[in-house]
Amino acid sequence: MTESFPVLLAVMAAAAFLCRVAGFTLMRFVPVSPRVEAALRATPLAVMAGITALAVQAGGLAEGLALASVVGLTLILRSDVAAALLGVVVVAVLRWAGI
Amino acid sequence: MTRALFSLDGFRRGARDGVPLALSIIAYGVGFGLVAAQAGFGVGQAVVTSAAIYSGSAQLAAVNLLQTGEATLWALFATILVINARYLLFGATLQPWLWSAGPLRAYSSLLLLGDANWLMTMRAIRAGEVDRAYLAGTGLPITLGWLAGTALGAGAVSVLPRPEALGFDMMLACFAAGMMTAMVKARADLLPVVVGAGTALVVAYLVGPAPAIIAAGLAGAAVAAAVHREAA
Repeated sequence: MTESFPVLLAVMAAAAFLCRVAGFTLMRFVPVSPRVEAALRATPLAVMAGITALAVQAGGLAEGLALASVVGLTLILRSDVAAALLGVVVVAVLRWAGI
Repeated sequence: MTRALFSLDGFRRGARDGVPLALSIIAYGVGFGLVAAQAGFGVGQAVVTSAAIYSGSAQLAAVNLLQTGEATLWALFATILVINARYLLFGATLQPWLWSAGPLRAYSSLLLLGDANWLMTMRAIRAGEVDRAYLAGTGLPITLGWLAGTALGAGAVSVLPRPEALGFDMMLACFAAGMMTAMVKARADLLPVVVGAGTALVVAYLVGPAPAIIAAGLAGAAVAAAVHREAA
């Protein structure tokens, strides 16, 4: 690799920018039918489920227990933000305990 | 065309909601700063990289590639395209809501888009958020956290506690689990959850974690679209 840092930076920034605007721009030409709307509404749920599932798979007992407690705490507290922050505390405590 | 609401109030609301996420982003930034410093980046270079690319996973992959010493510019470009392909999905899902703010505001807001505030903004939209400045607002604390974290990690690595010990590496997953639970309002909402989780696990096992998230989103969208057609 002989390129200077600004060249590397420009190439990396261009790729990241392309990803950021391309999906948005293409979507401008897609008419939003009720079916497309249903697909768009389902996407974040599927992505969140994917992130959660991968974290459980990559982690161990501590990670699995913490994420399960986030789900439970969200239902009990009716605040997903509070539940998520408590989930982080649960992970930290379980790891500290050596689980 | 009449433009959608884009006000300081909405920006403030977004910024307030983004603060808890910014805490985790600081930790993530420290992680990137540490890796970048080990790869020979100075503090300034690491911070500029974080500002210009603004995506932790893509930056980590790029730094790993650069460290091999055999990276070409095309390989670098392609790596970031692959890792950040999920942003195609993020942008597409935001488009119907965000575009009505006008092109300049919409595209400027996209510069502040990341995993965490995409999740947060989609949740807010579903809860009835109409102010399009909300997205840019969530981006403000996250950007500050990201750049500050990068500088800390690249500059003062040895004196900091490891983010893992505090559980900060699990922050995004915890937010995803919480928001997902809060967003499931009807039995039909469980379908994309099951499809997304299943697809992510299978694709991660067969290919790797980077395409797993995109695959989960696409599969959830496809199944929701298919089911909708049957119901109509």
